[in-house]
Amino acid sequence: MNYGELWQRAPALFPSGIVGPPDPEPVMRRRIAIVEDDAVIRANYADVLGRHGYEVAAYADRPSALAALRSRLPDLVLLDIGLGDEVDGGFKLCQELRALSSTLPMIFLTARDSDFDLVSGLRMGADDYVTKNVSLPHLLARVSALFRRAELAGAPAPADSIIERGPLALDLNRFGVSWRGNAIDLTLTEFWLVHALAKFPGHVKNRDQLMGEAHVVVDDSTITSHIKRIRRKFAAVDPAFDCVDTVYGLGYRWKAAN
Amino acid sequence: MSAGSFTDRFSFSIRAKLAIVGLVLLVIPWVGYTYVKTMENLLRENQVQAVVATARAVAAALQDRPRLLELRAPAAAEGSAAQPRPVSEEIQLLVTGLARAGSRIWIIDSHLRLVATAGNLDPASVAANDRLAFGPLERAVRTVLQFVFEQVQRPVAESVEEVIPNDVVFGGREIERALDGTPSWRSRKAADGRTAIITALNPVWVGDTVVGAVVVEETTQAIVSFSNRALVQLAAVTLIAFSVGALTLFFFASSLSTRLRKLRDEADNAIDSQGRVRGLVAGEHARDEIGDLSRGFSTVLERLAQYNSYLENLAGRLTHELRTPIAVVRSSLDNMKLQDGAKETGVYLTRAEDGLNRLETILTRMSEATRLEQTVRGGERETFDANKVVAGCVEGYAAAYPQRRFTMTLPDAPLPLSGAADLFAQMLDKLAANAVDFATGDPIEITLEHSGNTVVIRFSNTGPLLPAEMNERLFESMVSVRAERATPEPHLGLGLYIVRQIAEFHGGRATAMDRADGSGVTFELRFPLSL
Repeated sequence: MNYGELWQRAPALFPSGIVGPPDPEPVMRRRIAIVEDDAVIRANYADVLGRHGYEVAAYADRPSALAALRSRLPDLVLLDIGLGDEVDGGFKLCQELRALSSTLPMIFLTARDSDFDLVSGLRMGADDYVTKNVSLPHLLARVSALFRRAELAGAPAPADSIIERGPLALDLNRFGVSWRGNAIDLTLTEFWLVHALAKFPGHVKNRDQLMGEAHVVVDDSTITSHIKRIRRKFAAVDPAFDCVDTVYGLGYRWKAAN
Repeated sequence: MSAGSFTDRFSFSIRAKLAIVGLVLLVIPWVGYTYVKTMENLLRENQVQAVVATARAVAAALQDRPRLLELRAPAAAEGSAAQPRPVSEEIQLLVTGLARAGSRIWIIDSHLRLVATAGNLDPASVAANDRLAFGPLERAVRTVLQFVFEQVQRPVAESVEEVIPNDVVFGGREIERALDGTPSWRSRKAADGRTAIITALNPVWVGDTVVGAVVVEETTQAIVSFSNRALVQLAAVTLIAFSVGALTLFFFASSLSTRLRKLRDEADNAIDSQGRVRGLVAGEHARDEIGDLSRGFSTVLERLAQYNSYLENLAGRLTHELRTPIAVVRSSLDNMKLQDGAKETGVYLTRAEDGLNRLETILTRMSEATRLEQTVRGGERETFDANKVVAGCVEGYAAAYPQRRFTMTLPDAPLPLSGAADLFAQMLDKLAANAVDFATGDPIEITLEHSGNTVVIRFSNTGPLLPAEMNERLFESMVSVRAERATPEPHLGLGLYIVRQIAEFHGGRATAMDRADGSGVTFELRFPLSL
């Protein structure tokens, strides 16, 4: 996929409201903390987030980040896993921050792409896990989506933002999913994948399409493991769940439940 | 197979060499034989001297009693020599006392008349007690080699009574010389042709006249039979030593060559066709040079395995290491785009992004292989129908690769396999992509069949043949046989590596071969059915 093209098409690609033009005069500037040991990447992310109207605080290692964030919690945290000498410093920091606040949105942004790291990161309480080859528009989409989710957490959902497919209900504003009335805790990536599949039940989506809709660029087998995890999460509340159907050689489709 | 014939030649060679070394043992009988012969000659010389001495002694005894011959002489001239006389009895008594088995003494007077004789040359009497002297060992060898010993021993049994040969008595030069007064001796062959008879002659002097002669004959039977015995013993000892030596050498050589062959076979298979390295176990605890060889080889293989695993992990490490600098470039480019005034530099930005995208494709491919290794290690399994997966995939390929036509041959029955359907499909995808990349014409044939408990899947396409030297390595990590040409897609040689990993996860094997008619290549996968 060509990123230049993607950037041009970004407004069309992303569901409206998920990513929009920077708010020229935000009522209250949201504060994002970046914990990343590579100075250049840190500066680049800080620049782009700053340009989009966020207030950015950047830290290079775990102790300094923890010390600063303890006194004032940010609205969102972008975390690398390997921080300087601490190979798993990000995991540790994530746990410590989660202990301070149960609602603070956190995104792992890392070079490590193994399933093991992904599962560990999510288990530590992160809301999403993105590898560093993500493009900035994709990253911004995630950031604003997480803010929206946090913001609307308590408010009642307007009816027009709900997609219902049989027992499945998708809340596009809050990125919430429920199956037969039970809320299912999905990461942003997983939510977008389910949304892409359930939007047009029966239509086969190939892996490239799914990557586009989930704002990720990963290899095929990562999509496969995401799908596996989605199935497992649904199966946890309903063992008979089999709506995510594999079409060998093509991709996946949402099979209407009976 | 060539390895088999090589094995035989190899092991034969070591045994043959040791057999040649074993020929050194043949020097033992030769030395023994020479020794026995020398001894025999010595004994014979001794015997000659003894016989000569006996003749002289008898002659001396007769000299003291000239009467014995003188008295007899005229009487004998008148009548028969056979007539017994008292004198004759006395002389007979004398010679009988001197004669012994295997020797004969006779006395003639100056007229060549036989005065007295005693003893006989019958070899049987000499040899009779020798036979018992053979030990059990020699007897056993004699039984085994009867024919050879018959040749050696025969004359002993068949001997006939020696008569006094005419050429000795009448006209014999030695007799004449003896009657002329010169003692002499000679040796002649006995009738059996093997033993010899030593004859010593000594004149009997009375005053200045020779009145007769003493002839002492002795057969060398004792020596011959002694030497025969020695030879038999020698043969027995040699034979036994040789047999024991040869057997020992043979077993030693066999065990050596067996161990070496085992080591060789293991070394041959230490690196299988999939490029995996196994250690050697043959002789790893042996304390000799073969053990050293085995351990040395194991060390080399271990290093090779480490190097291989380094190569296999290289992709994973590279992905990890490259992701950060790529993130730097990516985020910088994205930042540039977001800035005003990027319009003029837009074309360069686009090019830079194209390059970056290619880099990322490489990274994605590499991480795919790494991720797959992790998945395979995790090893979650379910039973799925290969028939359904193949059918679905091939349908998908028709849509994914509209430029090529696919044909599909499927059996009717479901073919249950144990593994992961997603991975299985991923493997088929790689083979399809590979076939499409190399195909020079339609169609790409995909067949699924099963024979017994084996499921066979083949992807066959027309196109260039496999390079012979790469055939075995195709399925290794980072091995590519693609020509170095500019392709829009980067190729890392990981596709077939992924195929191999997934095939092995399903308990199967992947192989590549040229089509029989040389028109293209076939990739074949074999899996055991899940029952």
